[in-house]
Amino acid sequence: MIDYFLLNKISVILISVFGSWLAIWIYLANRKVKVNQLFSLMTVFVLLWIAFGFLFFSTNQTGLALFWVRLNFGAVSIFFITAYFFSLYFPQEGKRTPILDKIVVFLGMLFFFLSVFTDLIIKDIEIKEWGNDVVMGKAGNIFYTVVIFLTFLILFNLFKKYFRLSKEDKLKAQYFLVGVFIVALMNIVFNIAFPIFRETIKYYPFGDYSAIFFLGFTAYAIVKRELFGIRIVLTTFLVGLIAVLMFLDTVVLTRGLSLQIIKGITLAIFLYFGYLLIKSVLLEIQRRQEIEKIDKAKSEFISIASHQLRTPLTAVKGYISMILEGTYGQLAEKQVRPLENVYQSNERLIKLVNDLLNLSRLDAGKIEFSPELISLEEMVSDLIEELRINAEKKGLYMKMVKSLKPLPKIMVDQDKLRQVILNIIDNAIKYTNKGGITIELKKIDGEEEIKVSDTGEGMTKKEIESLFQMFSRATAGTQLHTEGAGLGLYVARQFIEMHGGKIWAESPGKSKGSTFYIQLSIHLDPELLKTKTKTITKTANDIF
Amino acid sequence: MKKILIVEDEKILAEMYRDKFIEAGFEVSATFEAKEGLKLAKKEKPDLIVLDILLPRENGVYFLTELRNDLEISSIPVVVFSNFDDPETKRTALRLGVKDYLIKTNYTPKEIVAKIKNYLK
Repeated sequence: MIDYFLLNKISVILISVFGSWLAIWIYLANRKVKVNQLFSLMTVFVLLWIAFGFLFFSTNQTGLALFWVRLNFGAVSIFFITAYFFSLYFPQEGKRTPILDKIVVFLGMLFFFLSVFTDLIIKDIEIKEWGNDVVMGKAGNIFYTVVIFLTFLILFNLFKKYFRLSKEDKLKAQYFLVGVFIVALMNIVFNIAFPIFRETIKYYPFGDYSAIFFLGFTAYAIVKRELFGIRIVLTTFLVGLIAVLMFLDTVVLTRGLSLQIIKGITLAIFLYFGYLLIKSVLLEIQRRQEIEKIDKAKSEFISIASHQLRTPLTAVKGYISMILEGTYGQLAEKQVRPLENVYQSNERLIKLVNDLLNLSRLDAGKIEFSPELISLEEMVSDLIEELRINAEKKGLYMKMVKSLKPLPKIMVDQDKLRQVILNIIDNAIKYTNKGGITIELKKIDGEEEIKVSDTGEGMTKKEIESLFQMFSRATAGTQLHTEGAGLGLYVARQFIEMHGGKIWAESPGKSKGSTFYIQLSIHLDPELLKTKTKTITKTANDIF
Repeated sequence: MKKILIVEDEKILAEMYRDKFIEAGFEVSATFEAKEGLKLAKKEKPDLIVLDILLPRENGVYFLTELRNDLEISSIPVVVFSNFDDPETKRTALRLGVKDYLIKTNYTPKEIVAKIKNYLK
């Protein structure tokens, strides 16, 4: 069995050396940055706190013990001032409340003074069988209350800015929190578990010593640019912690060489499997990072490729439309139709590029969802005006039936919904040769419904069933119009379902027209709202 | 007469939009580079800037950042008009205060002019 005092001494020496190195390392890494300065200052007070604590335990003279423990409490008071300011600057500077800053400095200085120079915090020392015990003064409980208050304030400072942090800074904050978690866990082990299960409280300084883990994690987060994911850190820490506890149990608490050998072998086996576990987690993280890199490259390629495809299409669309509008002089009657055909063919290509771009983003699970409050009536009315010319060219009527009362504004992704409605009305014009298209808007309970009815070709039940699937077209589409790739309605369904809405089609049968319905909830599901600026990580398969 | 500055690197498209804006009664200046665009913006003080995103050397986001940092020209409204449909870039541009981020292929020059007139009302 190793002597407890020796173990304590070795721990304090190791912590002092490692802690001093951390303070110097971080300060020299960037001495002009406030985070680095505050970290080094905070570390100095942690080391003083631990050193004074050790000196208090190691003396058997009451007067000297009282002197050291008062300095120990004084160091704790100043530590909380430095930790509070550190939490304001780490990992990024957050909003400050000047009055709160002053209160924290005042409280820290007040309790430093009360701890060191009066008997209000620490009244006396009692020498017990297990070591020196502190007799708290009249304001002892207030001291602990302030310590708890400041701890929560530090954590609150961090959580307050956490959700606005970048991915990298979030990871840094997580390192800090893991450090705090370790200190809490070690304190539970040495201040609660040991007294209950081993019936001794003499190991409780080790709770304080765990502060070195907090300093180590935080220092690493400050200096390193690329951090390991928090999963690997936690796995490594837990394996390490269990190994240390097993080692302490074997060397310090176990009597008898044979039992120590058995426990030693168990520790060796545990270390081997722990190593395998860490290695596998690390491998998984590396694989995921590689996949993320490939995904990013793929989506960049899609954006660039679609840009390159769209540029000549834009020129064709623009110039043909301007020629048709007469910008470059009056056209002969017989030139109009061929040019309109060129324009329409170009529109097909543009639609195909748009659909393929959406499809590849849906497939990669990288489609953005950006809801905003809009008037559905205004959007549909604008779209009808845009498409009216196409309907009139075919001699079709196009009318809009509004709800009796104006519909309330609705949270939708404007670009996506616009694309869906445009697609459906455009299809209705395409597949209708006589009669026309009616677009009706109404409110049903908590939902707004867009109903697009045409007097066109109609569909069979079987065709309706496969209508919203990829590369699917009703036979009317195949017979009359060969241009569609069958992607538009598939993409439309994905977009509507992304809103938590419904889209479907009905038809009484062939030559009896079709009706398309879109229903959207007026109050968007809060879960969907959370995804406002995030990338939706669903894949197309998840959506179905 | 309202002044428009077009920052567009595709020569064919720049000419096309310039023709349409002149026809619609605008005074137009055009350039294909971000830095040159910033110089022109300071010199001409246009009523609105139509900006492409993918430009040679410095891109449209650089143009927007510099524009917003220069008090002399920071309040000029900008409409991004690009075929680069990248959500991240769109978010950045909107954060930098653009009026709209439009995809070129989805609009004819006539529709663009109508939209710009609307922003200038």
